[in-house]
Amino acid sequence: MAERADDRLLRLLGIVAYLDGAGPVPVADLAKRFGTTPAQIQKDVDALWVSGTPGYWPDDLIDFDAASIDRGVVHLTEARGMTRPLRLGTREAVALVAALRAMKATGAVQADPARSAVVESALGKLTDATGEAASAVDVRLAPGGDRQVVAAISSALVAHRRLRIRYVTSSDVVSEREVDPVRLHTQDEYAYLAAWCYRAAAPRTFRVDRILEAVETDVPVQEHPGVGEPSAEIDFAALFAGGSSPLATIRFAPRARWFAEEVPVESVRNLPDGDFEVTLRVTNPGWLRSTLIQLAPYVRSVAPRPLADDVAGAAREALDVYGASSVPRDGATSANHH
Amino acid sequence: MPSPAAPALNPAERLLNLVIALVNTNAAMTKQQVRTAVAGYSDAPSDEAFERMFERDKDMLRALGIPVVTVGTGGHTDELGYRIDQDAYALPPIDLTPAELGVLSLAAQFWQDKTLQTDINRAMVKLRAAGAGDPSADALAGLAPSVRAVGDAYGPLMEAIEARRAVTFSYRAAYNGAVLTRHVEPWRIAARDGGWYLMCFDRDRQAPRVFRMSRIESRVRITGPTDAYEIPDFETDVMLGKAHGEVRQAVVAVRPERAGALRARAKPVPDGEREAYNGRLPRPAGGADGGADDRADDRAGARAGWDILEVPYRSLSGMAAEAAGYGAALVVLEPQAVREETLRRLTAAAALGSGPETGSTAGTQAEATRG
Repeated sequence: MAERADDRLLRLLGIVAYLDGAGPVPVADLAKRFGTTPAQIQKDVDALWVSGTPGYWPDDLIDFDAASIDRGVVHLTEARGMTRPLRLGTREAVALVAALRAMKATGAVQADPARSAVVESALGKLTDATGEAASAVDVRLAPGGDRQVVAAISSALVAHRRLRIRYVTSSDVVSEREVDPVRLHTQDEYAYLAAWCYRAAAPRTFRVDRILEAVETDVPVQEHPGVGEPSAEIDFAALFAGGSSPLATIRFAPRARWFAEEVPVESVRNLPDGDFEVTLRVTNPGWLRSTLIQLAPYVRSVAPRPLADDVAGAAREALDVYGASSVPRDGATSANHH
Repeated sequence: MPSPAAPALNPAERLLNLVIALVNTNAAMTKQQVRTAVAGYSDAPSDEAFERMFERDKDMLRALGIPVVTVGTGGHTDELGYRIDQDAYALPPIDLTPAELGVLSLAAQFWQDKTLQTDINRAMVKLRAAGAGDPSADALAGLAPSVRAVGDAYGPLMEAIEARRAVTFSYRAAYNGAVLTRHVEPWRIAARDGGWYLMCFDRDRQAPRVFRMSRIESRVRITGPTDAYEIPDFETDVMLGKAHGEVRQAVVAVRPERAGALRARAKPVPDGEREAYNGRLPRPAGGADGGADDRADDRAGARAGWDILEVPYRSLSGMAAEAAGYGAALVVLEPQAVREETLRRLTAAAALGSGPETGSTAGTQAEATRG
């Protein structure tokens, strides 16, 4: 894919400004610093070499030491005054500062004073340099679960040690597992632990607020090929995976719109009266049952019929339990009971 | 003699030569001087093509944080001159440690949107050009914070906030699903609890308003002059109405081993108060330990069948929804308002099925058309 002209210009100027202070630098190091390939750095150097002030006589041009280039080292000998690094634009500063502020507030950073300190100092230097309040964007992520749980996970990640956790699934089943932690994703309203689970003998993702207890063991983590390849994104498709699961169609009143926005659905159809209809795969019946009961006042219809009956049956069972309770229906409270 | 190094320079190289020329010029360069002297511009086949090229290049440089300033050339013409002041664009010295750079690199993975990734990658190129060592990821090993995509509205909204310009868009209201055109003055965008919100002044309502960005159904169009309004000082959470509701306590009875996620933030009711609830517990009905119907056994059985917990909550409807979601595994004892709201949800859910006695196959569609 062709690189955009403005992105390349930034790098060209960046290379000159950097080399002016850095002395001779190997091509490979430059490539790493500017996130590109050595071949691209060669092209950049070739372009810089013929650029300069109008006239474009040899003395007008940016210049490099030719002998060094042959050895794979870039040695700038004439910068044509282009020695100052560029200041950050407002949008660039906003993007960085908002991300750092959000990171600073996560449980995983708060749990560790050393981490808090480094995020804090990076943020401080950045706002000093940009001089921007950068308050146009304000992001807060999930608090990230119980403090002790988060602290144990963070510590195990750094020390590369196995964790013993007690976990409750979205179907409300509690289990004990030993896991090798790989990564702690904090995304939006939840934090997730990506790990190798010995109980499942497979990679698993755990929602941190559902980890009831976490204990760092002294067993070092093992290699699990293919687990936790660096990727900041959570694979929600995989979390809710299952192309072969049955489809359900649910019609909601407008007030339940968040469901369509936050749950991975196959399709959403807006209806003329403001209602909307979603189609989704039923990969986790327990979760869907519980969610539909929660949203019931805004649910207009559920198909197929067995799913609707399942939800209604669970609700009726609960109503029976309430009916059997001896709490007076006129609203007495414990304060005046007895 | 102007002798461009290559017959057709690519845009990045033309821009580079423009920047070098305008930084090094003594006073300023006129457009005509740019066209004849700067490598790449003599390629323009016509006056119009040159004008377009030059204007586009100036816009691109401004977007990168390299403002081209306009000055009078003095003398007897009123022709404008152009130059770039390095002082205006230079990054102040910023001395980042490897650990701090590592933190910034992590921030670069924070955004899912292409526009924001571009913004942050540019920031990284600039910071890397300013020196410092290599980033070290040790400080934040294993962490991967990220926020969900903002969507296409981000670009125009940021532009509008920066320039203090108004925007219009069509928006689907949550309470009735109607789509209306809105005219607003954007102040800030914020992410909370998995949603993106636009905080702004609504010109139609003449009041501050919060819009959920996922419900913006059209492109966001920027309209009107710059500096059309001022952005007041305000707290995001106050405007969103969060962190307002005080923390209250509900008392619930939970089956042993159930409602694990709720238990994680609950605590048992103090021993002294347990007695007050024991008499009000439902019988361990529906498949508990066989025959616990004996009257004498009732209280002991109730105690064995349920744990009584105190759960903190802020939102009544949120607490009721959570409680209803656990079905028969949890009973709300107090307060009455949460209990009633929970029952309302359960009752509505019970009505979703066909019911044991009615067997109408067309029922779901028919009974559900109007709520």
